[in-house]
Formats: sequence, C-alpha cells, structure tokens
Amino acid sequence: MDFSLTQEQKARRREFYDTCKELDKQKPPSLVGFEAIYELDECWEYNLHCAKEFANRGWLALAWPPEYGGSGDMMDRVLFSEARGYYGMPGVDIFGVQMLAPTLLQAASEEIKREFLPPIARGETMWCELWSEPNAGSDLATLSATAVRQGDEYVINGQKTWNTGAHRADWGFGVFKTDPSARKHHNMTFILLDMKTPGITVRPIPYLDGSAPYCEVYFDDARVPAKNIVGQEHEGWAVVNLLAGFERSGINEIMTMLRGLEELVAYCNQTKRHGQPLARNPLIRNRLAELACELEAARALAYRVADLQNRNEMSLMDASAGKIFFSELGERFAFVATDILGPYGQVRSSRWAPLNGIWEKMFHEHFITTISMGTNEIQRNIIAWYGLGLPRMR
Amino acid sequence: MDLRFTETQEILKKAARDFLATECPKTLIRELEQGEMGYAPEVWKKMAELGWMGLIIPEEYDGIGYSFQDLAVLLEETGRNILPGPLIPTLTGTFAILEAGTEEQKKELLPRVAQGELILTTALLEGDGVFDASGIAVKATPQGDDFVINGTKLFVEMAHVADYILCVARTKDGTLPEKGITIFLVGSGTPGMSWEVIPTTAEDKLCEVRFEDVKVPRKNILGQVDEGWPIVELMLRKGAIAKCAESVGAIQTCVEMTVAYAKERVQYERPIGAFQALQHKMADMWTAMETSRYLVYEAAWMESEGLPCAKEASMAKAYVNEVYKSVSKWSVRLHGAIATSDDHDIPLYYRRSKASDIAYGGTDFHREIVAQKIGLV
Repeated sequence: MDFSLTQEQKARRREFYDTCKELDKQKPPSLVGFEAIYELDECWEYNLHCAKEFANRGWLALAWPPEYGGSGDMMDRVLFSEARGYYGMPGVDIFGVQMLAPTLLQAASEEIKREFLPPIARGETMWCELWSEPNAGSDLATLSATAVRQGDEYVINGQKTWNTGAHRADWGFGVFKTDPSARKHHNMTFILLDMKTPGITVRPIPYLDGSAPYCEVYFDDARVPAKNIVGQEHEGWAVVNLLAGFERSGINEIMTMLRGLEELVAYCNQTKRHGQPLARNPLIRNRLAELACELEAARALAYRVADLQNRNEMSLMDASAGKIFFSELGERFAFVATDILGPYGQVRSSRWAPLNGIWEKMFHEHFITTISMGTNEIQRNIIAWYGLGLPRMR
Repeated sequence: MDLRFTETQEILKKAARDFLATECPKTLIRELEQGEMGYAPEVWKKMAELGWMGLIIPEEYDGIGYSFQDLAVLLEETGRNILPGPLIPTLTGTFAILEAGTEEQKKELLPRVAQGELILTTALLEGDGVFDASGIAVKATPQGDDFVINGTKLFVEMAHVADYILCVARTKDGTLPEKGITIFLVGSGTPGMSWEVIPTTAEDKLCEVRFEDVKVPRKNILGQVDEGWPIVELMLRKGAIAKCAESVGAIQTCVEMTVAYAKERVQYERPIGAFQALQHKMADMWTAMETSRYLVYEAAWMESEGLPCAKEASMAKAYVNEVYKSVSKWSVRLHGAIATSDDHDIPLYYRRSKASDIAYGGTDFHREIVAQKIGLV
C-alpha cells in the first residue's frame, strides 16, 4: 500500500493547481455552485475561456492515446480533476470531455474518432447528453424516442429530458430506438447530433432554486446523418454501459467540499456569536470535525478507485460506494453548513449572503450528485447485485 | 500510488487467516470471556512463534522488523476473527518502548516481548474516564532512587496478566496538565499493587489497578521525568490506528455473515436478501466498510512512512468507531431475532464494537483533535 505520488506526478499536480489558481482570479462572482455556467452568460463565457486555456495545455485530452493528441495517464486526469475541484473550476465539459471522449475512444469508428475528438480536445465543441426521457429514467432501456433510418439519415422523433446545458450545447449524444421490433437492449442506437438541426427544440426546465440548468429537448422529424453513430446500429445499450474510461473517483466533488470546509472553518473563526467565535461552540466543532472525517474517508476511497482505474482495472462496487458516499456527504454538508450560518443559511447570493451564498446554493445542488449518473438507489442495487451477489430484482 | 497489498502483506494475511481459523474458534472466544485469564497462553505462544508480537520490533532486538503498515494488515485479520487477548496492549507498550526506551530497556524487554514472554499494558485512565492529561491524578513522588506511586487506575486492559504495566503518573503539578507526566514500567509482582477485573460489555478484562506506596526504581522510567505526555500521545495515535485496523476486519466479518445469511434465510418464499429493503442496507454496510478501510490504510501508510498523521489517525478512529457500531448493529437487525441470542456469533462483534470505540479514545475525543487540526480556533 502506497499512497504517495511520484516526483513527476507531484510536479504535474502543482502545475494543475497553479493554473487553476490563476484562472480562479478571473472567475465571475456570479459563478456559484456547479451549474451556473449553463445559466448565466458571463459564466458560460468564462467556462469557454477556461476550456481554451486547458486545451492549450493539452489537458482536455489527458489519458487519450497520442495518435488523437492525448498525453498523460488516468492519474493525471485524476490530479487535474482534483485541482479543478478545489478551485471550483469549469472548463472541462463533463459531457464532451469526460463522458463522450472515452466512449468514442473505446467504441467509435476511426472516421468518427477523427471527426469528433479533435474539436473536443481543442475545447471548441460543447456537448449535452440525451439519455433520460419522461418515462425512462433509471430504467433507461424502456426509452421510446425513435430514430428511423431513411437513406443516409435518421429521422428522429420524441422527447428527451433532464439535459444539462442543452440550450448551450453545440452537439448532443443520445440513445434512440432504431429497431422497435428487437428485444430490449438490442433495439437502440447511440447517435451524435448537431443541436442546430432543424426539428430540435430545447426548453429549459425550472429547477427548484429558480435557476434553469436542465432542459427538455423535443425532436420533430429532426434529420441527422446516419454515419454519426457510435458502435453498431441497434447496439447503443452496450455503448451506454461503457464506463471503463470515465473517471469515476469523485475526487473533483470531494475537493470542492474540502475547499468549502476550509472556507467554513475560516468563517467560524472570524464570526462572533455570544461574544466569541462560532468556532468555540462545541457543537459546531463536533459537527465540522465529523464532516472532515467523512471527507477524508471519501478522499481515501476516491484514490482507491483512481488507483484501480489507472491500472485499467475497475471495481464497480468501489466506484458505486464512492459515488453514494461523497454525494450523500454533500447533502449532509449542505445541511450542516446552512445550520451553522443560522438565518443567513437561507440567503441567496447577495450582500446579505455569507460566503457568496454558496451553501444556500448547495442546499439545492446536492440533488445533482445523488440523482444523476445513476441514482444512489441504482448504485445500491449495483453493489447488492453485482458485488454482494444478492438475488436480482426481475 | 499503489493501494494493493505487497506480496509480504498477502502472505502475512493468508497465514494469519489460516492460523486463526484453526486456533481461535468462536468456542474458545466464548470460553475466554467466561474465564478469568482472557487469553489462551498456548495460542499466545504460537502467535509469538509466528512473529506477531515481534513484527514491528527491529531485528537487533530479535524482532522481524516489519513496518507499521504490515502490522495493520495483520491486525485486520485478528479483527476479522475478534482474537481476544493482550496483543494490542502489548503492541502499544512496544510502540512506547521503541520510541522512548533506553538502550538498556530495549535490550532487556523487546526480545522477551517478541518471544511472547512479556505481556505489556498501559494504565492511563482514571476515575474521570478522560483521555487527556487533565485526567491524570495518580501521583508518583521521588524517594531516594525510587519513585513511590499512589492512586487508582481504571480500564487497564488485561492488567491482571500483564508482566509490565506502563503507568502514566503525575510527577509535578504545573500550569499545563500535559506537563509533569511521567511513565513508569511497573513489574507485575511489585508490592503494593492490586487489581480487580471490571465487568464490561465485551468481557475483555479491563481492570482497576490500585497503587499503594508502590516503589519503582528510577531506571524503570520510560522517557524523561515530567516529559511523558508526548509518549502517551504517540501510544494513543498508534494504538488508535491499530484498533481501527482490527475494527475494519471485524466490520468485514459482520458484512460477510449478514450477506451470507440473507442469501440462505427464506421468508415469503424467497431469500430475504432478494428484498431491496435489505439489499440497500447491506450496500450501505459495504460502503461504510470500504470508506473505513481506505481511511485506515491511509493513516497506517502515513504512520509507516513517518509522516505527521495525528489528524488522519484521529479522523480514522472517530469515523471507524461509529461505523463498527453501526454495521454490527445492522448485522443484528438484518439477522433478526436469531442474532439477539447470546449463542449467535454476531453479538460477539456488536459487543466488541463498544470496546473498540472506547479504546484509545472515543469519537468525541478524536473529533476534538480533528477540530483543532482543521484549524478551528
């Protein structure tokens, strides 16, 4: 057991941190939380700016094979993710860079890779994910949006939903039913589509805090080139399930929480109640210490997942356990922090809001990590069924 | 970074698992709970032959010279099997002697510890039951070449069979409670010392030890007079990580037994493990185990590397304390009524979760250390 980094890795990590620290100075004050980049124009601009800066350093193609412009390994990607998490830095498109690119590398044809990977690496195209539908959430295989082959095109009809940033995205990737007569899991195709295609309508969905980072996307005879598919036609389910290349440690979210803890500690040291710093309140000390312990546990497990992935191994159980743990820690964190802030815990980003309203924001945003990317209940099924070997629900 | 076990660790783990499976069945554990000794001398002797007590003792003192991390791997296995006896208290005494002992003390004591001839324990707590220096009232007063100890220590693990008790005593009243603490190596036959076993949740032979004009020669002082508290902190830190490693093993057994039972117990015409209410609880238990595991491995690695890790050790102890209690509790719950029977093995683990929680500092004690280390004023 060795948790240490090599000298080279330490130097890389330093570089990642230093760059993020510099970029952090230009961050718009309105960028609070995970999703503001999709919501506010100045935040989206900043996101694109960071993407360019990272692209120029080759950091959007970490762990890609050199023939597609890649460099470094999975551990570099983890360390980069760590640094970005600490500084709450956008600029790495979760859909294009983190989800689609590893999927393309593993499953797409050479032609598709050559066409779509370079603009992702250059930070030029921003993507959205088109998976969920109103009646197909966790049970995605029951989706109903169709793509009917007509010559060199697919004609797409139906509705997708919970599409983060679809109103900002240049391109989208999704799964659509292409062979309604085939059995489940062999009836859908993974399709890449230009979001400017006629027949696509994007409507933001109001989120529970009044923002609108998610959208629903309607398809009305949208025609897309049939060549833009990943994997085999009708075998999109297998592509959806490719998670091997997706960095799953959760270190990004964990480091964001660590920074949040540091800021909260500073706030408690500086803020007086009953004539002494909040930090002297034994209840607050105990609650923050508890969170700090859990945060360290989350981080240690994240390194376990990262270490395995870096060896091209994967423990589905550990990745699921890590996701459950850090996301639910995020919930507890938001509750504890807003408790400590007292009446200020309800104030949205404004002159009354301590810490720029981050914890009020987190009181809403924690749902993003518990519900998306496979709900925590699905993650528990994965542990129970595939890990512990318990009987599977039919 | 490589979070896999080394080859040495794999061998150590396997050997320990095989040994304990044959030498430490649950029937023996129950006997030891009922009996007076609390450990099996014949098993202890074999453990010494396997090199367990000498694992972290350098070769120059007839030990094996393995790392602290290797020890943690071993303790995970003893924890899986809830091995009773004075292994961890002896190891904790060893940590202190290695750190603060004179060459003479090391040469005299460590080879005998490695051979299983000496059992060590530490007398820290008193009537206040607190783990900080303010709780130390037992007094040691200089008298010629000796010190004379008076007072009562509590919760001293296996003091009744220990050959040496590391008695943490107050030698000077000062402004700071941490100043004026001295550690004495008190041999078991020393006149004036008496003990009684306290009935406890885990029947793990915690003792009250009374010192009435107990004379200890100066040469039996461990470290410097009045400067003993940092050694206590070291024992608490290393002891806490050791206890955590043991707990991770115990937590794993609880999870495994529960999952196995859920697969075989049939109700409503199917194994109860087919119900999601139970599946998700077991997934949570597994998650808690795995988060504990890597937190403990990280602390053990840091300790092994000589990195400052007071924060991580306390984080591990505060976290694992709660996980062990919670997971073993849920093991009873998911087994149902059957596991509330004293004949069932799960309660052995549940009861020990409380003992492990308290040993080397409870959750709130360690959270306060964490609070300081994360920078709260």
